[in-house]
Amino acid sequence: MTTTPLHAPPGQASASGIPAPTGVVRQPPPITDAGYLASLKKVTQYYVVTAFLALFIGVLIGPLQALNYGGINVYDIPIVKALLKSYYQGLSLHGVLNALVFTQFFISGWLLYLPVRDLGARINMRFAWFTYVLMTAGLLLAAVPLLTNRATLLYTFYPPMQGDALFYIGAAIMVGSSLLVVGQIVLMWWNWKRANPGKVTPLVTFMSVAVWMMWFVASLGIVTEVVALLIPWSLGLVGGVDPLLSKTLFWWTGHAIVYFWVLPAYISWYAFIPRHAGGRTVSEPLTRLVFVLFLLNSTPVGIHHQYADPNISNLWKTVHMFLTFMIAVPSLLTAFSVTASLEDAARARGGRGLVGWVTRLPWGNAIFSAQVLAMISFILGGAGGVVNASSSFSPVVHNTAWIPGHFHITVGTATTLSFMGIALWLIPHLTGKRLPSMRVASWAVWTWFVGMMVFALGMHWQGLYGVSRRAQVSAAAPDVYRDLPIAIPTMLTAISGVILLISALLYFSVLFRMLLSPRVENGEQTPIPYSEAISPAGEKLAAAHPLVRLTEPLMALWVLALALVLLMYGPVLARMVANMQLVPGWRLY
Amino acid sequence: MTSRRPVPRLEHHTLERLENIWLGVAIVMNVLLFTSAIASFVSGTYPSLRGEGGHHITGVQNGRIDPKNIAATPFAKPGLRENPDGTLEAFVVAKAFAFEPTVLRVPAGRPVTFHVTSLDVLHGYQVEGTNINATAIPGQVASFTTTFRRPGTLSTICNEYCGIGHHNMVTRVIVETPQQ
Repeated sequence: MTTTPLHAPPGQASASGIPAPTGVVRQPPPITDAGYLASLKKVTQYYVVTAFLALFIGVLIGPLQALNYGGINVYDIPIVKALLKSYYQGLSLHGVLNALVFTQFFISGWLLYLPVRDLGARINMRFAWFTYVLMTAGLLLAAVPLLTNRATLLYTFYPPMQGDALFYIGAAIMVGSSLLVVGQIVLMWWNWKRANPGKVTPLVTFMSVAVWMMWFVASLGIVTEVVALLIPWSLGLVGGVDPLLSKTLFWWTGHAIVYFWVLPAYISWYAFIPRHAGGRTVSEPLTRLVFVLFLLNSTPVGIHHQYADPNISNLWKTVHMFLTFMIAVPSLLTAFSVTASLEDAARARGGRGLVGWVTRLPWGNAIFSAQVLAMISFILGGAGGVVNASSSFSPVVHNTAWIPGHFHITVGTATTLSFMGIALWLIPHLTGKRLPSMRVASWAVWTWFVGMMVFALGMHWQGLYGVSRRAQVSAAAPDVYRDLPIAIPTMLTAISGVILLISALLYFSVLFRMLLSPRVENGEQTPIPYSEAISPAGEKLAAAHPLVRLTEPLMALWVLALALVLLMYGPVLARMVANMQLVPGWRLY
Repeated sequence: MTSRRPVPRLEHHTLERLENIWLGVAIVMNVLLFTSAIASFVSGTYPSLRGEGGHHITGVQNGRIDPKNIAATPFAKPGLRENPDGTLEAFVVAKAFAFEPTVLRVPAGRPVTFHVTSLDVLHGYQVEGTNINATAIPGQVASFTTTFRRPGTLSTICNEYCGIGHHNMVTRVIVETPQQ
């Protein structure tokens, strides 16, 4: 691991939107085996492109849902009817493709590539390709029942609503194969540790390994649910299913998964965004602390999704509520650090005043603006999240339109918009192709932000009046929805669907033009945009900041995370297993 | 670039102090949030679900009920029931795609204990304009006590996806002026 000072004139933006560094930045060890590097880049590209293909189909279905909330039922139009059996099938596809498939494929590529390059390590490429093929096979298996209306379960797939066994098997293979990436990356990092005793794990590797460890702990719930309960039940091997036990296992994973979606964006916010703006990462020790807090605290909180469910004691609901509030701490630390790094950048570019510096940021660079707009909407999303997590506010908004309003400005921007921005340098870096138009990309990014904000406003507003989530209100026979004073918010939701459709078309036109254009340079000319740090962690563990020494033993912290989640879920699950109540399955779609 | 004189850049020492202050603020906000949520819990300003509902009801054990055999339980006759001791209990059954009773009449100003269950898949029981919100789970009973203060008609909506007719699963709670 070497750090070489690089002195280049500041503010010189390359074609790819990554300015040359102004100070000392990390130079990861080079990979000299060209064939190996090409294969590593190719597998990453496959993950990323598969992810965006899923997102493309997923977002095209989105406006149908938004128009529905605006009272316009497009599901009766013949061409839509020919493709989608019902609103609920459209919604299932929209949710599964955007929230589960896009995120998992993008992250599996992104967090495979980053730590491997960061350490300059050699991994088994056969195994990496096998994992990709397996994950895609799982996706294709699950897609068959989804497309034939035999798994219209929405992405929460709560039993006893029953889907085709193929859906559960495909989903299990898809999720299970992400655990192979976990194994490969953790093992790679562990080998590096043994080869480099007394050294500090570089920041990007540290963050990536912590995220994969967290995902492993988090995925155990859903893996147990699908493998032990849903697959035998859907194959007809057992007489029934316990809906509450299944739902609890689902939310063991289901809340932590939102951190699995957002933390890979945090990696970019901490390590790469400052470079795009011409600033510095604030503090490496603090960044490590934030990721460790997420590793420990993301998983044992899922019961705050179940305040409305009977037969879970209020004590455990309250414990999970408190732990959920605790996750706000690393999020608030992130808000501080990332904003400080932006301010640092803006002042270096001549920004002045208490807030006047904001205007000096490179808002026309879509890579930058995508991620910073994502952060801005995430502030509002996070505030709404505190409302959802509170057992006294939750009953007012639980399962109303407020909830999709909430997760479109968290997952739909913090994650999706960040990944959309990252792809604009990552694809040139992987392929040597050039971004065809920064202007169009910039328009796409800004309209996405505006569209999501308008959507969220409309949905939160309707939700407060009690409009149900996931309901085809445009086709509802009772006049209850028409009695509510929701004309303005429903109109906002419908308008947002149109804005987002335009945004998606702009974005994908740029993305596909880029992917289909010829390779013009060596991808390495678009570097991984490492930033300089104001407070670096250093290289020697013995001389490092106490926070660095405290957070370095990730293996022990991993075990602690597992112990914590067993402690917080063990008693709850034990009571459910003792009172197991099997009920038959239904297919009501 | 129009910068007139060099601006001092952020440095480690100042940032560390501000970080610590920010961390302190975050933790204090958390404790306040938790305390306020607990306060609403203790003061009963929202109808929290019983840990395990309906122990006294025939056919209910540990909050569980056999969904194929509710004929032997009070859920066979959904609706409001006045117990000999004067307490009110409402039995609500959710099934695709309707609630029973279709209209529930309750008096204003008197505590009513609700028991909600489902006969098939998951449903939601949400009374609009209130904070009454419970999941109806087949094989389980959700119980909570609430008091409606003002007379009027409240829409009640299924807020958990339950199939092709989910959006039509709506009922009413009519709160009546008590007759003295």
